[in-house]
Amino acid sequence: MTAASLPQFPWLTLLVMLPLAGALLCLLHGNRTVESRWLALATSLAVFGVSLYLFFCHGDGGSGWLRYEDVSWIERYGIRYVLAMDGIALLMVLLTAFLQLAAILLAWRVEEKASYFFALLLLLESGLMGIFLAYDLILFYLFWEIALIPMFFLIAVWGGENRRRAALKFFLYTLAGSLCMLVAMITLYQIHGDQSGTYSFVIGDLLQTKLSSTQEVWLFAGFMAAFIVKSPLVPFHTWLTDALTEAPAAGSLDLTGLLIKTGIYGMIRLAFPLFPNASRDFLPILAVLALFGLFHAAWCAYNEDDIKRLLAYSSISHLGLVVLGLAAWQLTAWEGSILLMVTHGLTTGALFVLVALIRERTGTRSLQELGGLWGQAPYLSAMFLLFSLASLGLPGLANFAGEILVLLGVFQVHPVWAVIAFAGVVFAAAYMLRLVQGTIWGPAKVKRTLPDLTAREWLILLPMAILVVWLGLYPAPFIAPLHGTVAPLLLGGMP
Amino acid sequence: MNDLVQNALLNVNIAAILPSLILVCFGMGLLLINVFLPRGTTRHAVWISLIGLAVTGFFVYTGWGNPQYGFNDAVAMDNFAAFFSITFLVCAALTILMSDDYLRREGYPVSEYYPLILFATAGAMWMASGTDMMTIFLGLEVMSISLYVLAGFFRGQVKSNEAGLKYFLLGAFSTGFLLYGMALIYGVSGSTRLTEIGVYLKTHASLLDNPMTLAGLVLLSTGFLFKIAAAPFHMWAPDVYEGAPTPITAFMSAGPKAAAFAAFLRVMEYCFFTLKPEWTAMLWVLAVLTMVVGNVIAIRQTNIKRMLAYSSIAHAGYVLVGMVAANEIGYSGILFYMLAYTFMNIGAFAVLVLAGKKGEDNLTLEGLSGFGFKKPFLGVAMTIFLFSLMGLPPTAGFAGKFYIFAGAIKAGYIWLAVIGVLNSAISLYYYLRVMVYMYFRDPEEDYAWVAMPGAVVVTIIIAIAGVFYLGIMPGEVMELAKQAVF
Amino acid sequence: MISVYHYMSVAAILFALGTFGVLTRRNAIVVFMCIELMLNSVNLTFIALSSHLQNMDGQVFVLFVMTVAAAEAAVGLALMIAFYRNRESIDVDQINMLKW
Repeated sequence: MTAASLPQFPWLTLLVMLPLAGALLCLLHGNRTVESRWLALATSLAVFGVSLYLFFCHGDGGSGWLRYEDVSWIERYGIRYVLAMDGIALLMVLLTAFLQLAAILLAWRVEEKASYFFALLLLLESGLMGIFLAYDLILFYLFWEIALIPMFFLIAVWGGENRRRAALKFFLYTLAGSLCMLVAMITLYQIHGDQSGTYSFVIGDLLQTKLSSTQEVWLFAGFMAAFIVKSPLVPFHTWLTDALTEAPAAGSLDLTGLLIKTGIYGMIRLAFPLFPNASRDFLPILAVLALFGLFHAAWCAYNEDDIKRLLAYSSISHLGLVVLGLAAWQLTAWEGSILLMVTHGLTTGALFVLVALIRERTGTRSLQELGGLWGQAPYLSAMFLLFSLASLGLPGLANFAGEILVLLGVFQVHPVWAVIAFAGVVFAAAYMLRLVQGTIWGPAKVKRTLPDLTAREWLILLPMAILVVWLGLYPAPFIAPLHGTVAPLLLGGMP
Repeated sequence: MNDLVQNALLNVNIAAILPSLILVCFGMGLLLINVFLPRGTTRHAVWISLIGLAVTGFFVYTGWGNPQYGFNDAVAMDNFAAFFSITFLVCAALTILMSDDYLRREGYPVSEYYPLILFATAGAMWMASGTDMMTIFLGLEVMSISLYVLAGFFRGQVKSNEAGLKYFLLGAFSTGFLLYGMALIYGVSGSTRLTEIGVYLKTHASLLDNPMTLAGLVLLSTGFLFKIAAAPFHMWAPDVYEGAPTPITAFMSAGPKAAAFAAFLRVMEYCFFTLKPEWTAMLWVLAVLTMVVGNVIAIRQTNIKRMLAYSSIAHAGYVLVGMVAANEIGYSGILFYMLAYTFMNIGAFAVLVLAGKKGEDNLTLEGLSGFGFKKPFLGVAMTIFLFSLMGLPPTAGFAGKFYIFAGAIKAGYIWLAVIGVLNSAISLYYYLRVMVYMYFRDPEEDYAWVAMPGAVVVTIIIAIAGVFYLGIMPGEVMELAKQAVF
Repeated sequence: MISVYHYMSVAAILFALGTFGVLTRRNAIVVFMCIELMLNSVNLTFIALSSHLQNMDGQVFVLFVMTVAAAEAAVGLALMIAFYRNRESIDVDQINMLKW
């Protein structure tokens, strides 16, 4: 608690509040498209700057945290405004800030109700930052819902043809899950309060709760309902394919890169540490769900004609691998999973960007109608190839490091799982190659001259490409913050 | 006899009824002033009634923490009554603010409207402060009779007539049940004062199994449940809410409902605390029924006023969950929730007032097509109110539901809380549908929306401020609510 | 000897009759009269109990109920007249623009 008493600059609050302020300013700008565009860019640049600062200047928030901010909020009910950052949160914050920048550049040409669009994007960023940093259950729930609302509007207003249905499905699925979580949160709070006499929603306090095994299972189920739907594991994944397909380009980027990661992050941060015994018992089921998802989604991806939908399935498939790594409950696997979360955000995010660019140019997303882009737009195709290869886990590119760590870790604990998962990874190569083949190789089916990458598009893709190569060749700086964080989590505690 | 008179005079304590007395005086004065002014002038009435509400609010506020009892314990202006009174006053003030332009638009610029609202508010305050069955009955009737008139206020419109008549017939019918229940309880205990009844029932435990006691309890509850519009006594609500003038619908669904809850709560807690297991079991069933009926039927509605009527039934169900919990956090949750509901519901209705056009309320979902982008401010405001009604953070609706469900969980009713939460999930569907129409449908071309009068905009802004204040900083108000429960 | 129970039985029968009438009759004025019947059966109960318990409260209550019922009648009849002017009928079946 020494950290709270030290007066220090509230960097974490800044991360949450800057986008919020930007969103409000954008809203006030009403119909002035240009101003709101620059405003959004400036805001997200500032947030990115802050997150970079936090990455390079590791603070010490005391008791194992990199940063810790604690302010009284609703004292009577033990609800506090606590933001805390450990290594995992640091990586997620960095990824959020980076992808958000890309999303705003990608949305640069949005003309229709642009200021609302940017306001929603920034609001989403604020919610995501909050999810990754909150260390109080009510605060977490607050941000969890805040992140939901802008995405709902982004899909529903600016989305594709079936946007209304997709948006409603997204909203109802995820909210139904999170309401279960809310009941579990209040129940846990009550049990803890009755035991210890001090009622508190701060996660650190709740860790000490002693639960009977039935209580633990039910509460764990409540939390996991929200996280499994959000992740999404396979029986509950249909909202994601619809939402990803219908969302506008920037929305798809945020959805696949960040929003679905919040589910996995929630498992790591809340469900596993709060209910260690129940989660230990649940691991085999989780692994089965993950493996099933890995294959089912890969199979769907292989048979899909719409390239955006194909990528949506590939996302689900990759997340299956991430969850499998968590289910192994082993240090290497966990580090691999977290790294894979980050790299998947980059590679698949970049692929969604490219799909949007291809769609803009050719007017189609169907594999049947595409082909031969290499001859018409070589740079774009090269980028597409690079990120596709990265996505299927080519050694030397981003996903490889994560995947290999996950497989290694899983192999040490459950060799059978690892073998099955490996087959799944090979499967990924099949559908990614099919995607590449159908899009950039073969005879050109769209008989028009297609413009290659513009300066703005280079600006989005080049940093992503550099990071993808960097993460593939030398991931150490990004794994380093995880070292101190993951090990205690596995032992059932928090930093 | 002389003793009796003297005794009664000694017990007069004007302080106990001072706020409502002031309110009634303002109402009477306004009626008198209206006589001398030409018909059709209403601005003065708006200002005078707002001042009246403010003065009343001031006296309620200064009396906080200093309970006043009087009239042989028939009236108690304690914190409980004060908290509810503030809710009623806020409700009345917001209703009055949004009414003037609406009345003009509909062709009824009649200033008698405002005293009626003041009387209804005074009646609600007596219900909340009544500690004798007589006071509660009188308050209920003063409130209801004013509301019958208000519901049928547009006397040239058949819909409004029907609403008024229907409300009147069913309201009077339910009053009959309430009174019969009161008579039976009086017969059992020999008193009409709530505390004396409670003490008598406690000391004569054999009476608890007496069919007369139980019949009295059931009939009394029936009367209150009618006013609350809890299922299965909710049938009147959608019709009346749809037909009544929109501001009156807003008023009815917040203030008088809160008043009925206040009186119900006090009667149950003062008289029947010995029968708590029985009435919590009864209310458990009714709470579930009310939530389910309200939410499920709301899904099918195409008229927004009707949809909000069913949603208000569902919200009564959530509040009943707090009564079932019957502990400190549940009860203070009810107080908090009614205040929160006042802000969000009146805000939503205020937006609807501006969504209409003269003579035609335009309150179908279709009619709202494209509303969100044509009128950005109203669209955002409506979105906020709908999110609050859904119970999403950081709005007042979330904080209210949080306290009520926390109360239920604390009392061990986890399944009730789960059912409540599942019901919130159902409610998302129909609230979202409004947003879908507002934002995702193209508006009809050259549709003339009404102008935005300042007073209604002020109403909406106050409501938004209330929704966010109670949602983000619920601590202080909740602290007051805690001090207000028994 | 006529005991308090006889009075209360009569009152209960009247209350039941009133309730039955409200639920079955179609003419709004008759419905309203049935409601008045219910209120008066309550008054009878109160007075019988008041005399039985030797306690004034019941009789005071009755005075209040009568006063309020009169006020209610005034408002109710006014509403019915307004309705009649628009619809030329006071049959409750005609109250059908809003679904029951």
